[in-house]
Amino acid sequence: MAAVESVTRSQSARRPGADAWEIYRQSPTAMLGLVLVLLISVLAIIGPLVYPVDPFEIIWAPMSAPGTTERALLGTDYLGRDILAGLLVGAKATLIVGLTAAALTVIIGLVIGALAGFYLGMIDEILMRVTEFFQVLPPLLFAMVLVTMLSPSLWVVAVSIGVVSWPPTARLARAEFLRIRNLEYVTASRASGVRQGYIIWRVILPNALPPLIVSATLTIGTAILFEAGLSFLGLSDPNVMSWGLMIGSGREYMLDAWWIVTLPGVMIFFAVLGVSLVGDGLNDAFNPKLRRR
Amino acid sequence: MKRIMLAAVAVTMMLSGIAVSSADGGTLVIATTQKPRHLNPAVQSGIATAVPGTQIFATPVRFDENWNPQPYLAESWAFSDDGLALTLNLRKGATFHDGHPITSKDVAFSIETIKANHPFKTMFGPVEAVDTPDDHPAVLRLSAPHPALLLALSSALGVIIPEHIYGDGQDPKAHPRNSDTVGSGPFKLAEFKPGEHIILEKNENFFLEGYPKLDRIIIKNYKDVTSMVLAMDSGEVDMLPFLAGTRDIARLRKNASIEVTDQGYAAVGPLNWLAFNTKHEIFKDVRVRRAIAYAIDRDFIVNALHGGFSTAATGPVHPGSPFFAPDVESYDLDLAKAAALLDEAGYPAGSDGVRFSVELDYLPAFAEQQKNVAEYLRPQLKKVGIAVQLRASPDFPSWAKRVSSHEFELTMDIVFNWGDPVIGVHRTYVCSNIRQGVIWSNTQSYCNEEVDALLDAAGKEIDQAKRQTLYRQAQQIIVDEVPLAFLNTLPYHTAYNKNKIGNPPLSIWGAMAPLDKVTVQ
Repeated sequence: MAAVESVTRSQSARRPGADAWEIYRQSPTAMLGLVLVLLISVLAIIGPLVYPVDPFEIIWAPMSAPGTTERALLGTDYLGRDILAGLLVGAKATLIVGLTAAALTVIIGLVIGALAGFYLGMIDEILMRVTEFFQVLPPLLFAMVLVTMLSPSLWVVAVSIGVVSWPPTARLARAEFLRIRNLEYVTASRASGVRQGYIIWRVILPNALPPLIVSATLTIGTAILFEAGLSFLGLSDPNVMSWGLMIGSGREYMLDAWWIVTLPGVMIFFAVLGVSLVGDGLNDAFNPKLRRR
Repeated sequence: MKRIMLAAVAVTMMLSGIAVSSADGGTLVIATTQKPRHLNPAVQSGIATAVPGTQIFATPVRFDENWNPQPYLAESWAFSDDGLALTLNLRKGATFHDGHPITSKDVAFSIETIKANHPFKTMFGPVEAVDTPDDHPAVLRLSAPHPALLLALSSALGVIIPEHIYGDGQDPKAHPRNSDTVGSGPFKLAEFKPGEHIILEKNENFFLEGYPKLDRIIIKNYKDVTSMVLAMDSGEVDMLPFLAGTRDIARLRKNASIEVTDQGYAAVGPLNWLAFNTKHEIFKDVRVRRAIAYAIDRDFIVNALHGGFSTAATGPVHPGSPFFAPDVESYDLDLAKAAALLDEAGYPAGSDGVRFSVELDYLPAFAEQQKNVAEYLRPQLKKVGIAVQLRASPDFPSWAKRVSSHEFELTMDIVFNWGDPVIGVHRTYVCSNIRQGVIWSNTQSYCNEEVDALLDAAGKEIDQAKRQTLYRQAQQIIVDEVPLAFLNTLPYHTAYNKNKIGNPPLSIWGAMAPLDKVTVQ
């Protein structure tokens, strides 16, 4: 057993993680992404504490433009609800949906990809056919069907997005497992009689993680856009303020009151931009060779 | 002695009152987003079928803008003294589009078909038989006096369909000729492309001499309201009825060549309301329902949310109806009273200010009337300690299933009066109409024997004044017991090109009435 431990340790030490941060730090766009993501996270966490206005409360005349009243700095929506409060509270829901969907994507994708890539044969055949079945369904349409069948609530939306987004992650995980399973240190572990579960989760997985982390990060951005898309179609939880909900229910007022949809739209833009830049930065950091090429 | 309502004079008045434009011919283009399943109003309710349907099929009578019946296919009519028989004297020489003469047999067949197949069962409910002593008089025998009968025999409802076409034994609801119609109205069907357009051509042999004025009507389908309103604004279409979006109304108002009117919707009588499930633990207490009615600011809904285009609704009957009762409890905003009522009902505010939580459903359509008002109710009812959770429905069938199976607590809803209270009002309140699985029945499960008796009496009372009194009493009780919190009327408007169109359809049925008098320049 000790031999195996040392094998995996030495492999871990060779992982690019050690100098990844150095590489990441040098990229201005990656740092910009990180700053954006941190800013939005801070908004989501302490925003509502600093500015404790109920985003559902009608506080002023409907459709007041930003700057016309001190009661609502960023104006009010079609009911007279505070846009600023909506943006702050909405950040949380948007992040929850993004993170939940991404986590779900990684979990489902990883399990299926890992099993298929490690065992091959029948298991691989079955799992990959299942994956293909999910892959050929248009994701937004599939998510719409799920949300329509269940009732539109925040968790249903988050889970639906996760359920429709995992196939690419599964294929990625499978490819990584296929590559790594034949490397010498895996063969060595196998030769020394290590259990299969241990090989999958402790030997191969840590080495397959970097591309999966990148893909998961990018999924957060996709999930945020998905949530906005579902909200735009009226499929979102009306009891939870989210940026998507603000756009979805405010779109009819675009010509009369641009700020109702534009402000949450700008927030979604920055959130997705931030997450994508972080994803790109991580990609470069984990694959320095790729970057130099 | 028979009480005769001869209307020959009215015919001449009607014919002479037209002269805005003498120009005959031309094409009228009407915009709509409604897609009819077919064009036979005898077996299908709703605006989508009624607008083309009333052009294609004539009715025995029609109504002017003051709720007066006017001769149409019947040149005169008379009720018997006991009110148990109505004799319709059909116009002689009137023919269907295929040249067959219209006889009393067709009237008898049509009424039987409507009675058996139309969703509005009360229209001809009391009609036991239709006698056809000769080709032109048709005698409707009633089991009880039925004052709503003439309205049920008017545009959009009591269409006369030819027996020789629709009486071939096939299911009238699925009859192949429902989309390839033969009627007797001012226009006949030229082309029906579902989802695209309906083209109606002038009926050269129309029974009213000199009509219709137009050569052609095109009912053009739009995929969404926005593109339809843009088409109206740019002059691509001439008329846009059933426009309910207040920003669309305001937008078209700004166009100098477009007239936007709310005339023509008195009979449809569309009401927007908040319905209680009175079987629900919390809402079976009338004090809770009253408290909610007092907590809603209808001024805010009408003025802030609907830009002043809708009007406050105070009771079950639309303000445009002759049976509207203004003297009912008005439930003016009074949060203190609402709180006191809730305390009294045994729902004290908890430490967080919340008395109880409820779920609120709403129709997934007419967002400005339904979703937006529901969103307004959430913070508004919170002020009196009621925590409202909105329950969105992904589509109409899911909402209709929840509400019609009585699996709801509160729901927003839009219901039409459909002319006479017997047709569109009774259904919401009578005990016998508490039916599982039927949407727009008495889904509130409201039951009061006194209301039942009053509505039943009003439905049979021939004397208009006595009838109004009975309906007033019924409305007072209903509003007092609030099975529904009445919010506002739907701001239906008709936009039309005022430089082009003469005699726009402004009678009680609006565009769901024959457009034979309309002219274009």
